[in-house]
Amino acid sequence: MDKNNCPVADNVRRLSDILARGRISLARGRQWAEDILRLMKDLASGRGGPDHFPAIEVLSKRLAGEEENQTCVEIGQMLLSELKAHREVFLSHLETRNCPLGDCIALSPAPCQMACPSGIDVPGYVTLIGQGLDDEAVELIRKDNPFPWICGLVCTHPCEFMCVRGRIDEPIAIKDLKGFAAERAMSEGHYRNPEKAPDNGRKVCIIGAGPGGLTTAYYLALKGYRITMIESLPMAGGMMMVGIPRYRLPREVIDREVAMIEDLGVEIRYNTHLGRDITLDELKNEGFKVFFIAVGAHGSSKMRIPGEDDFPQVRDAIDFLKRIALGEHHMPGRRVAVIGGGNVAMDAARSCIRLGCDEVTVVYRRRRSDMPANEEEVQQAEEEGVKFSFLTTPLEILGRDNRVNALHCLRTEMGKVDESGRRRPVVVKGSDFSMEVDAVISAIGQTIDRTGFESLDDLQWTRRQTIRVDQASMMTAMDGFFAAGDVVSGPATVVEAIGGGKRAAEAIDRYFEGIPQPKMLSVPVRRQHLGCLEVPATTKMSLDRPQMSMLGNDRRRVTFQQVELGLLEKGVREEASRCLRCDICVRCGACVDICRDKMGVDALQMGYLDFDKPGRTDFRVAAERCILCGACAANCPTGAMRMEDKEGERILSLCGTVLNRLELEFCDDCGSPLGPARYHDFIKRKTEGIGATIRDGNLCMACARKAAAKKHGENMPPIA
Amino acid sequence: MTFRRGQRVEVFRKSLDESWQPFMDNFIGAHGIVTDPDTAKNDIDALIEVTLDEEGTHRFPQDCLRSLEG
Repeated sequence: MDKNNCPVADNVRRLSDILARGRISLARGRQWAEDILRLMKDLASGRGGPDHFPAIEVLSKRLAGEEENQTCVEIGQMLLSELKAHREVFLSHLETRNCPLGDCIALSPAPCQMACPSGIDVPGYVTLIGQGLDDEAVELIRKDNPFPWICGLVCTHPCEFMCVRGRIDEPIAIKDLKGFAAERAMSEGHYRNPEKAPDNGRKVCIIGAGPGGLTTAYYLALKGYRITMIESLPMAGGMMMVGIPRYRLPREVIDREVAMIEDLGVEIRYNTHLGRDITLDELKNEGFKVFFIAVGAHGSSKMRIPGEDDFPQVRDAIDFLKRIALGEHHMPGRRVAVIGGGNVAMDAARSCIRLGCDEVTVVYRRRRSDMPANEEEVQQAEEEGVKFSFLTTPLEILGRDNRVNALHCLRTEMGKVDESGRRRPVVVKGSDFSMEVDAVISAIGQTIDRTGFESLDDLQWTRRQTIRVDQASMMTAMDGFFAAGDVVSGPATVVEAIGGGKRAAEAIDRYFEGIPQPKMLSVPVRRQHLGCLEVPATTKMSLDRPQMSMLGNDRRRVTFQQVELGLLEKGVREEASRCLRCDICVRCGACVDICRDKMGVDALQMGYLDFDKPGRTDFRVAAERCILCGACAANCPTGAMRMEDKEGERILSLCGTVLNRLELEFCDDCGSPLGPARYHDFIKRKTEGIGATIRDGNLCMACARKAAAKKHGENMPPIA
Repeated sequence: MTFRRGQRVEVFRKSLDESWQPFMDNFIGAHGIVTDPDTAKNDIDALIEVTLDEEGTHRFPQDCLRSLEG
């Protein structure tokens, strides 16, 4: 065991190697070793709980006690010896979720990867895309997320909020790069499933074929599970299919990625609603012992105003969008009011425009700046002709002869900050007015539809009417029942559902294996260790985030064609080179400190290192001031800062960004490289007055010593 | 207060809300960015998505969060 390596990482590597080489021939011994490996990987990725270390000890003792198989005995004893010798280090991984030696790389992923609810290795796939390796990028993404194309179009991209590049100018267009790579890989026929494990005979029933359910299906199918999905709709995709309009996410994109999952042998039973078309007992009789619930949030909150239930032209946005997705393209009315200020309200309003409504008005009781909808959604809605009535509260829906003819409203203004720290809208007296409309769509929140779960008595529900689970394992209060997605989180994002589905797949596998569940959420895994894209500092600073091409506004107003048309290839490749590779540079600031404080050079202007108060960053400053002494590179703990001599130049780079390059000077006597003139000038200034120089010109240390010795010999009188 | 997308926040205390999970104790004091606020109706009771620096993305009850911006 190398004393500079972490024993946890070392044992993971050693055990992986033993298993890969097939050294353990005894089946139960191999299973124990695999379980030990899995538990050790938990430690190495910060997911271990208090049960992990004892469980590893017990399994190691079992291996060591397998007296009929000498290999098992040897490996078991080796493991026990390691556990005894490095007990504190193992426990430290459990308690601190840090690797003292920094060898467990999973404990320090990049901020973008940490931010991703499904834990995608963002720097890895961005780099691959920068290299033009789109197929490999998609393969990498699918290790953590089976929907690179869908997420490349509709992900809420929390990664971009944490992107360190955003502290300099704009974050990397991570979502758009993913969409480009997935579309390219699919277009060229290189979007393929990984090889799946042999059938293990274990059956799992998944209720709901949305993003959460499909993700669990994908990862379990890859492990050899037999997956059956129950879906109440006639198509897969869940809210991705019936909640997101086609102009944001074309159906073909969902169909293609779902088909990839079906290709793994996953069976989807459409038009099958639990409790109505099939019962839990019937499913159990089919041999299912484990169930995963991911039914989404397809219900709607009520406005609770008079007239809401009196007219067929009053609808909720969730049902409205679902009907459009299922093929109903009738205009809801000529003049439509959409109540609410969220993303669903924007989707409903923009869909109304596309269906030919003359006038669509979003009615929102607060200000524009308070709207919870994404800014780009609001902007695109305005571009398409949606009107907004801010600071307006609906009071009553009016109508006659079973037809809506007006929405009676009140004007509001923002009141004083209340005890919760929020400014609430306050009604302006006498401000009521009627808006002439012939249809009203409410978009004020989604709810969970509990229909079908009546027979699951022991399932626990929260006060928000969501299923209570342990977030680390997605286990519900019912043995053998797991849940994830909106039914657990409430209305949330596609990528959160995917992340939950992935956790559930892992937990279901552990459940079958009978090994402890993790106590913490998993730390994302760095999947690959890729070299950096070389780019000059000037280019790094001057490249702009590429602009998305958009469908023309007239076409947008009359069709459901995709609005965002994708990035051009040149922009995509360049965008990848803007990435700072935070998976390698951990932003410790050691380079800046030593350059400024120890060397007194102050050549590194990297204000982005501070998360809370980022300062100015300009990589180009290094070329003006840096003397290429190498102190920064020598003190970099991760090798992000590198200095190398190449083709007559000394080059300093940070994760591929070339900060400085200067021509080398060589020893006059032996020709070995010395460093650039700027460095020599710096040294000369620092050593002025210390002693006489040997002679003019450039000498390396060895040749200088020889010259000094020779001079010394010439000056000394001969020994008698 | 109403949280908005992109806002810098701090998890400044443990929440008494039932959605608070034991592992979240480790996040007290962590800083992050609101990545998905309540996108429907500015509900003070909604769980909002916050991406924490170095600690991942999670949904929190709003009473444990405070703004770091003025």
